[in-house]
Amino acid sequence: MSTDKNTKQVDLELRQFIKNLGYIAGGTALLTTVPWLQSFTTDKLSEIKNEKARVAIIGTGSRGQYHILNLLRIPHAEIVALCDNYPPNLKTASDLCPKAKTYNDYRKMLESKDIDGVIICTPLNWHAQMVLDSLAAGKHTFCEKSMALTMDECKAIYEAYLRTDRVLYFGMQRLFDEKYIKGLSMIHSGLIGDIVGIRCHWFRNNDWRRPVPSPELERKINWRLYWESSGGLTTELATHQLEVSNWAMKRIPESVVGMGDIVFWKDGREVYDSISLTYHYRNGVKTTYESLISNKFNGLGEQILGHKGTMELEKGQYFFEDVAPAPGILQLINNVEKRVFSTVPIAGPSWVPETASKQKPHYVIEGMVHTTSGGSMVGAENDGSDNLISAFCQSVITGEKAKDIVEECYSSTMLCLLGNQAMKEQRKVDFPDEYKIPYLKF
Amino acid sequence: MEGPCRVLRAVLYLFSMNTDYSHYYDASSLFHGSLLNIMGTRLDAVFIETDRALCESVWQKTVAELLRLDKMFNRFDIESEIYSVNLRAPTERVVASDELMSVLISCKRYHLLSRGLFDVTLSDFDAVDLDTEHQTISFSEKNVSIDFGACAKGYALDKVKQVLVEADIKDALIDFGNSSVLALGHHPFGDCWKISVENPFRTGEIVDEIELRDVALSISGNMPTHLKHIVNPRTHQFIEDKKIVSIIAQNSFEAEILSTALMIANHEEQKKILSHFDHALFKEYIL
Repeated sequence: MSTDKNTKQVDLELRQFIKNLGYIAGGTALLTTVPWLQSFTTDKLSEIKNEKARVAIIGTGSRGQYHILNLLRIPHAEIVALCDNYPPNLKTASDLCPKAKTYNDYRKMLESKDIDGVIICTPLNWHAQMVLDSLAAGKHTFCEKSMALTMDECKAIYEAYLRTDRVLYFGMQRLFDEKYIKGLSMIHSGLIGDIVGIRCHWFRNNDWRRPVPSPELERKINWRLYWESSGGLTTELATHQLEVSNWAMKRIPESVVGMGDIVFWKDGREVYDSISLTYHYRNGVKTTYESLISNKFNGLGEQILGHKGTMELEKGQYFFEDVAPAPGILQLINNVEKRVFSTVPIAGPSWVPETASKQKPHYVIEGMVHTTSGGSMVGAENDGSDNLISAFCQSVITGEKAKDIVEECYSSTMLCLLGNQAMKEQRKVDFPDEYKIPYLKF
Repeated sequence: MEGPCRVLRAVLYLFSMNTDYSHYYDASSLFHGSLLNIMGTRLDAVFIETDRALCESVWQKTVAELLRLDKMFNRFDIESEIYSVNLRAPTERVVASDELMSVLISCKRYHLLSRGLFDVTLSDFDAVDLDTEHQTISFSEKNVSIDFGACAKGYALDKVKQVLVEADIKDALIDFGNSSVLALGHHPFGDCWKISVENPFRTGEIVDEIELRDVALSISGNMPTHLKHIVNPRTHQFIEDKKIVSIIAQNSFEAEILSTALMIANHEEQKKILSHFDHALFKEYIL
């Protein structure tokens, strides 16, 4: 188990996160802009103070272990079971939490009465069956993104979600990332004007492979590289960013065109290592999505382009088109937003245009440093994942469903799958009527 | 001459393009408006007011008023009244608008109270003949021209204050190019507005903190990039001292005029000028 010091730290982190958001959005305003956080107020957190969510992990590979490390620091979580059919990963996980019971068949594990919540971190092609089985077994369920490998599976999960009284979460951590929440709320308050375009990208320079001890394990370990088990760069990376794009637009695109190729990593893989997609919203706004894994110069990012300015959400910074607000005034505004009374450093000899620097960034959260290069194949620190898993554990205790998370994951996964279809069939693909759900606004 | 003139006019036009930007921060009931390229600098306004529509309409009025005054005071603008006065007054009696006349009369008064150190002609205000009866202006010297550079922002801020007071906006901070600040009411989480003065020669070094409430602040000083922009009208020498002066007064026009005059004045002159302004708070920072 973790030390007391760590335990306290995470508890405080989640409380601080919610508290910070309170400052950002101002009490009740928070609840309307980020409905999925309604259940996580500081008051509600203290109600579950002495209770623990008994959770099990299915899939104890790199992402599963990442969640385990976060769970060990969450006071209201207890890892009671681990399941994997690949013994080395199960062993590593078991070493991290020796008290947890181990399984190699998840169905057996789901029969256990000692498990309240299940966290699924398996290859994409297993998501649907496992989520459905877990809900059917009466377990609260968390599943990593994307939702599933096919549109039919996504629809089946969505329908099961409508029927179940259990809690269902998906790993859309940007919904729990402070800089995204604040950045998006600034966009929605009109800071950068009307959204006129969105550019998303994720660039890396690595082969996306894990070492394989013996050749017959290739497809099992490198499941991301084959269509039977993966949607490739869309379902693994783009899904987060397409979700952000929809969050900004408050609607979802009606069609997509794109091209995908294997440009560099010609090593027997099936999924593209270079994709370029254009999603079209009904109002004419387009989201362009680019991903390449043989050049990392551009890293990752989502640029929301407005007629008054540009927000770079991942970097937590924004730029104005014409007018750069005076830094002192900006500091004053930031402090008022944080309810801080401080001195404004503005006075001095006259400001003249020549002393102003062009296109200086302004920061969504002052002093914020948590940005990521997008290079990690497991998960970045402070990207909202810890808050998300902590929130799930709280829901496991209270049984309270979090709003919109399933719908958001459904939307972005569908867009990934439609993007893949557009690239494979080399044509424009419209969002099919049979997969539209009431939540979606086009 | 036709060609270069046209180019110059085009360049001046580009520099004179005013861009206004505004944003309302709902959670804080804070309105921020920004206007670029106004009187050679920029203006930022912050209102604390729950009525967003009121803020927006007050901002539009403020922008309109600033643009009007910019035009009136801009001696480079061939359509401005002051351009016409500067051009014609050496040879004829030019009929002036009520507003221009009253501004010049005030300037004359401050010229006397500042012992000649505030001077809109930068050389010889005595050569400007203001005929109040016929409301005309004429220059008795050929090379005289009027430049409102040392008081236009202050005058404009007083006008902005009127707009705010009429609209019943109680808490506001207006920063006109950092050198002229108008503070109405107080910060939402404090009982005044606190402003700090930065050393322009050492970025980040704060030379003073000033608390403002329902007063105007004006700063004069040199910057490393602009050492020659304040002239002593008596000696025609640039004031190149590495120093800043600040003055707090009841109105912005007076504050701006005094800051320039006191930047030029020596210690003795400063004392004599200040003897006419009991309520003004003056500070000098040698950098």
